[in-house]
Amino acid sequence: MSESKEHRNNIYRIRAEGVGLVYRSNHRKNGADSGDFRALRNVSLNVKEGEFLSLVGPSGCGKSTFLYILSGLRKLSEGAAWINETPITGPALDRGIIMQAYALFPWRTIRKNVEFGLEVKKLPKKERRATADRFIELVGLSEFADKYPYELSGGMKQRIAIARALAYDPDVLLMDEPFAAVDEQTRGLLHEELLRIWDKTNKTIIFVTHSIDESIFLADRVAVMSPCPGTIKAILDIDLPRPRTPEIKSDPKFGSYRNRVWQLLQNEGERTEEITSADGRKRLGAAPQEAVI
Amino acid sequence: MKMQDKFKIKYRLLSLFESTVVIIVLLLVWIVVPIFYKNMYAPSLLTVLAELWKTLLSGELLLNTYTSLKVCFFGLLAGTVSGIVLGLLLGWYRKVELYLDPILQVMRNTSTLALLPLFVLMFGVGDLSKILLIMWGTFFPMLINTTQGVKNADPTLISSARSMSVGNMGLFFKVILPSASPYILSGFRLSAGASLIIVVGAEMLGAFHGLGRMVFFSSTNYFIDKMYAAIITLAILGVVVNALTTKLEDSLTKWQDKSVLS
Repeated sequence: MSESKEHRNNIYRIRAEGVGLVYRSNHRKNGADSGDFRALRNVSLNVKEGEFLSLVGPSGCGKSTFLYILSGLRKLSEGAAWINETPITGPALDRGIIMQAYALFPWRTIRKNVEFGLEVKKLPKKERRATADRFIELVGLSEFADKYPYELSGGMKQRIAIARALAYDPDVLLMDEPFAAVDEQTRGLLHEELLRIWDKTNKTIIFVTHSIDESIFLADRVAVMSPCPGTIKAILDIDLPRPRTPEIKSDPKFGSYRNRVWQLLQNEGERTEEITSADGRKRLGAAPQEAVI
Repeated sequence: MKMQDKFKIKYRLLSLFESTVVIIVLLLVWIVVPIFYKNMYAPSLLTVLAELWKTLLSGELLLNTYTSLKVCFFGLLAGTVSGIVLGLLLGWYRKVELYLDPILQVMRNTSTLALLPLFVLMFGVGDLSKILLIMWGTFFPMLINTTQGVKNADPTLISSARSMSVGNMGLFFKVILPSASPYILSGFRLSAGASLIIVVGAEMLGAFHGLGRMVFFSSTNYFIDKMYAAIITLAILGVVVNALTTKLEDSLTKWQDKSVLS
């Protein structure tokens, strides 16, 4: 394939080729797979080292499912996916997932939560503590290190979840609508903080969201997903200067990106479309919609 | 500062009064009423306390208390450990639950004391039959609570731990067990209380020593004062055990948001 030649000089942190997921139905009538549900179809995506990619789409379009496949928590049924050019076979510490519901362990103090991945890595106690404290400081919550999660606000919990994922030093951060549950003002602060941390740590990030503004504000590229079955409809390069500040949202360029994404999300009737990915190659987007029974 | 301290002391005294006033009144009634109304089955509190003191000095009360507590301790220990172990299996492996649940339901709903004569026939009048009976009686609350605790473990937390590539053992000790711990602890509190109730019943039906035997033996021989002394001792033990297990529960679940639960 000509594709592999193009990739030769360009190691991708994340790579997905034709990823699909079908939930097999338990009740099969006469051997027909009539009850099968297709959640993902032909999802292909490449993310370079240090890149920030947003994955935006309506609820139920399978964007979180795709993220779970990359995390190794869910198996794909078609295609293949790689992290650091290694096929994904299960969870590993080269990537960290950050969930909407924070998923902090309530019986552990903040520090002990951040130490979790380091315990799995079997780091000595002293080193664990030092590393945990460093990352708790990075997210600006040092004074809460000995508190339990219930004593923190939602925004603080998510910052700790980020610190926990960063602490074991993965190459890739997979963020599943991490700021969906916090209020607008806190979300704005968390955006700037995330970009600051990203700048400092040079992680590769996939950020799943259903907020158009959020996806554009944060990312180098925005991948737009359409549902039923979930597939990537288009990938837009976001050519906005960094560091980004909230003022950028009133930039006309930002507005045109917002319109473009909005149209792509609206435009559900049109199932086939030629799209341009970031590396300039043309490829065919979603196939005609399959009947879902 | 001084004002604050004053308020604090006042508040403490008030809450102490609130929590003890009813008990004090009842104890006074227990002293006053027998002066006017004499009944051999209802001796005055003072007579009972004198008897309690006497049995304490003679060592009789201590021996019986020691015997009952010893039996309770070992029975509770055995029931707790076996209940937790099986509960973890039942909660985690659906197949184990499918096979074992029906028989466990039958066993659980059989009155524990109904089994006592059988246990005595099989294991004798000594401590063993009672330890096994208490094990039986405390096993089920432990089992049910542990199973519930494991089942209620938050799947998001399990996913989160798995994403950090934790192994099966790590998942078990770092996520499942702590998740289930509040359930296990409240099961333990219930079981500890149940063990005291079971031991009394068991000792009444056949024992050489123990508070249950002391109550039963005293009543059949019309040592009414002594019977009350044993009952009071049991009441105090019950309150102390409950206070201790509640304290244990509280101190091990500090991480829970109590304001939401109440």
